Amino acid sequence: MNLDSKVPSGPLEDKWSKHLKDIKLVAPNNKRKHDVIVVGTGLAGGSAAASLAELGYNVKSFCIQDSARRAHSIAAQGGINAAKNYPNDGDTIWRLFYDTIKGGDYRSRESNTYRLAQISNEIIDQAVAQGVPFAREYGGLLANRSFGGAQVSRTFYARGQTGQQLLLGAYQAMMRQVHDGKIEMYTRHEMLDLVMVGGKARGIVTRDLVSGEIQRWMADAVVLATGGYGNVFYLSTNAKNSNVTAAWRCHKRGAGFANPCYVQIHPTCIPVSGDYQSKLTLMSESLRNDGRVWVPKKKGDDRPPNDIPEEERYYYLEEKYPAFGNLVPRDVASRNAKIVCDKGMGVGPTGRAVYLDFRDAIKRDGRKTISEKYGNLFEMYENITGDNPYEVPMRIFPAVHYTMGGLWVDYNLMSNVPGLFVAGEANFSDHGANRLGASALMQGLSDGYFIIPYTVGNYLADAELDEIDTTHQAFDEAAANAQQHIDKLLGVQGDKSVIDFHRELGQIMWDKVGISRNEEGLKQAISEIQELREEFWQNVRVPGEAANYNKYLEFAGRVADFLELGELMARDALHRDESAGCHLREEHQSEEGEAIRNDEEYSYVAAWEFQGVNGQLQEELHKENLEFEFVELKQRSYK
Amino acid sequence: MADTFTLHLKVWRQAGPDQDGKLVDYTVDNVNEHMSFLEMLDVLNEQIVAEGREEPIEFDYDCREGICGSCDLVINGRAHGPKAMTCTCQLHMRNYSDGDTIVIEPFRAKGFPVIKDLVVDRSAFDRIIEAGGYVSVRTGAAPDANSIPIEKSVADTAFDYATCIGCGACVAACPNSSASLFTGAKLAHLNRLPQGEPERKRRTVAMVEQMEKEGFGDCSNYAECEAVCPKGISISAIAEMRRNYMKAAFAGEEL
Amino acid sequence: MASFLKALKSQVGRKLLTGITGLGLIIFIIFHLLGNLQLFGDAQAFNEYTYTLESLGWILYILEAGLVVAFLLHAYLGISIWLKRRRSRPNGYEKYQSKGGPSHQTWASRSMIFTGTVLLIFLVTHISTFKFGATETIMLNGHEARDLKTLVINTFQNPLYAFGYTAVMVLLGFHLGHGFWSAFTSLSMKHTQYSALIYSVGIVFAILMAVGFLFIPLYIYFAGPDAALISY
Repeated sequence: MNLDSKVPSGPLEDKWSKHLKDIKLVAPNNKRKHDVIVVGTGLAGGSAAASLAELGYNVKSFCIQDSARRAHSIAAQGGINAAKNYPNDGDTIWRLFYDTIKGGDYRSRESNTYRLAQISNEIIDQAVAQGVPFAREYGGLLANRSFGGAQVSRTFYARGQTGQQLLLGAYQAMMRQVHDGKIEMYTRHEMLDLVMVGGKARGIVTRDLVSGEIQRWMADAVVLATGGYGNVFYLSTNAKNSNVTAAWRCHKRGAGFANPCYVQIHPTCIPVSGDYQSKLTLMSESLRNDGRVWVPKKKGDDRPPNDIPEEERYYYLEEKYPAFGNLVPRDVASRNAKIVCDKGMGVGPTGRAVYLDFRDAIKRDGRKTISEKYGNLFEMYENITGDNPYEVPMRIFPAVHYTMGGLWVDYNLMSNVPGLFVAGEANFSDHGANRLGASALMQGLSDGYFIIPYTVGNYLADAELDEIDTTHQAFDEAAANAQQHIDKLLGVQGDKSVIDFHRELGQIMWDKVGISRNEEGLKQAISEIQELREEFWQNVRVPGEAANYNKYLEFAGRVADFLELGELMARDALHRDESAGCHLREEHQSEEGEAIRNDEEYSYVAAWEFQGVNGQLQEELHKENLEFEFVELKQRSYK
Repeated sequence: MADTFTLHLKVWRQAGPDQDGKLVDYTVDNVNEHMSFLEMLDVLNEQIVAEGREEPIEFDYDCREGICGSCDLVINGRAHGPKAMTCTCQLHMRNYSDGDTIVIEPFRAKGFPVIKDLVVDRSAFDRIIEAGGYVSVRTGAAPDANSIPIEKSVADTAFDYATCIGCGACVAACPNSSASLFTGAKLAHLNRLPQGEPERKRRTVAMVEQMEKEGFGDCSNYAECEAVCPKGISISAIAEMRRNYMKAAFAGEEL
Repeated sequence: MASFLKALKSQVGRKLLTGITGLGLIIFIIFHLLGNLQLFGDAQAFNEYTYTLESLGWILYILEAGLVVAFLLHAYLGISIWLKRRRSRPNGYEKYQSKGGPSHQTWASRSMIFTGTVLLIFLVTHISTFKFGATETIMLNGHEARDLKTLVINTFQNPLYAFGYTAVMVLLGFHLGHGFWSAFTSLSMKHTQYSALIYSVGIVFAILMAVGFLFIPLYIYFAGPDAALISY
């Protein structure tokens, strides 16, 4: 597997501009001869499809939802970072870059992360020009807030619905191209395989989720923007339909899967209430700007929170991290919530929750101010839990939120499979071992608006592509493969539900490949997942038929892939014998539970190459060494 | 753990777009007050799959946190159920009690044909946006974000309209199946911003025409749409749409 | 201009025209009621009033033509909206109810087609009864004039007329209850605090009109031809 990152040489600041200068262009009259497939219509896919179409390529866009506007980017609440320095608090591109690479615990490429910081400003300009209604100050200029562990206010936001507004901007840009005939939009289509011809990605196979028909689509390049794989945990903040299938099937066709063990567990979610729970709801971490996190000092203290006097409250984040307090990065906040709950100080009926208290903020700023900032979040919380956060502290607990790992890509966001580009959460690129708040929207849009449109052109300019059509044997083979997989799922006719398998997989992942991991647990996880996968193929019950709308069948296919991915995640976590960012190996932590990296041995990207599944998953490890020319590696400290 | 209770459901089952549908009775035991409405249906589906007599009930959902706009049930005659400013996925079973009977139907409108059971095709909304629900700005062509100051109240109001999740409850609840609130909300978002001004007339005319082409009915000012809108979008959007449309027509905008 | 005419045929245009014609009809009924109340004036006040109206000549014809156009257009638009409504939801709900709150869905708003149709039918009989009804000719200030007052009083001695008119006027009240506010909204009035005010004003107006109109036949019927309020 070739892991040439293709990072341009030269000073960090100049790499991207130099690359743009060197990039090969496709002449306008030739662009219309090229078909590009974009899978996924979230921030990355939507913006990429729109921008590629604007340039003149013929774009075919696919999504599993009933409309491109429903991609899960829509649920991002908090905001989007940019180094505009509008608040004049000393922010620079360098600082945004540095915070991102440090926040990622030095497990991402300097060059990619720097480019992300550079492009961040253009994204805001683009979004505002599209009419995205960001929050503004009375002077009419854009407002910023501090977010998720940043010491400057660089986050742009649209109440608690920033992802929605940015996605609608990208969606509308897409719809404009649909109107102009430059994008063909296929909703309710699920990608089931990648078609390779002559070693290059040349198309995809999809299932029409309404008719069940298996269809073939040819193109000169394929852009995958299918999001993350957090739903391998069953319960996560991801939408129910978010899945790894498209990425995993590409992996099975040869695309390297990088750093699968890096999973971000978000600290502020509504705790689990019962077995029927189908997903976890995130409460924006902007809440930590004003809310104070605490647990009772006394174990098993079951007094109502408001009856617990100040001196009996343990504000553990403020005490342990005086400089950052409640605003420590997500991984640190989540881990500490787990630590206090493991010690028996957790609250609520399950004891797996901590308080997020607005009492002091309401006293300081008044209920009105707090309501203006968080009103919709408070309502949402009350709606779900029946508790009013103006009166009683919220109960929160960490939940799986974002996956930093993903398909390996080079500086051009192309995977090791020529012609297969990967954008947004689906790739592994910019966040290292932990993503900072308000950086996912930034990355998705950076990839889609400002990188993919150039780098796809660079590839197409001199790619030697065979003249083929969808009757090529590679299409036959991929379509047959997809159909067989479906037939196999329907053929098992066992007596255990798809959801039960998924829930069990999720439990294994959460217990053993979750907030903290250890060798023994990971080994157990691997064998348990293998057993579960074995059982799945012998005993799963998938109702209904193939040639019809069949949600259970869709889920069965996704769970089958999760059952393989889960094992890879555990294997990756097991091999990475260090702690880094969200990957905390219990063997490698300080007395206070801080992650201890091993830069000597693990300063690399782990890219796994699929070899087969035969009882166990066979994967070969490849390494891309991370070289740090411009930043000095330090142990993270938020004290 | 809260007590569980039993519900009687009458669920619309329809095998396909051209088949006849009917309400089918189900009983769900072990309903917990903390469940969301969709989780209650999940439980029912698991029951149906375990029994193996018929196919599970199809219904649309995705984010389950009230923002994606996928979920779309009419519950006891009301789009998204009894609570104001709430999507079906955010409706919790504490709003019901033991022994209740709940009728569950799909969003019904000519513009939203049924695909299967409770799943409908809302692509008409995409086509309305396609007609003009955007600002025509190319990637990379944008001026600095702060070069266009916008009065805070204007930006805030634009947001109020932009918050539409495109679920279609407005159409489902409207006695006339009008899509005016959906269309008006996008227009009210973009038309009031300086970025949207250059295309205001063209956009308004194009979107109103598309809405009409999709077979949605007229707005008779029932304001039922505002009542069911999970984001509480005001029917002022419709008034604005009308004003901008007639102004565009007066100005001779090509129709 | 062509585009403007086309715009009038659109959903927005149709509602605009419905609103404008509706408001025109509202102005008409206000004057109609004021005119009717002349029955309770001097002995010949009502006949003098109707005589004055009829002697307007071509001005009256223009006003009447305007009214006919407004009424027919209003009815046509209402019926076409109702027909479109049926087409826009070919399969209705098994169970349907309003969510309340900001909704203005009431029996009044849901029954516009019914109340409107009743009013349409009523209007035909109303005009044939009074405008074209046979009357005595009397001398009024040296002119020949129709004795409409006697016709009115005699007509409403018939319980069918008296109660029929009353029932229809109740329906008119309902029609106005939604129509008044709706007309303003169709004319692009924003949904602000004024909207709530106009809605309330509309309800009060509707009640006033209904009560005003139905008072007359009921009073005449119960008080008989020699009623105290009517002077001879």
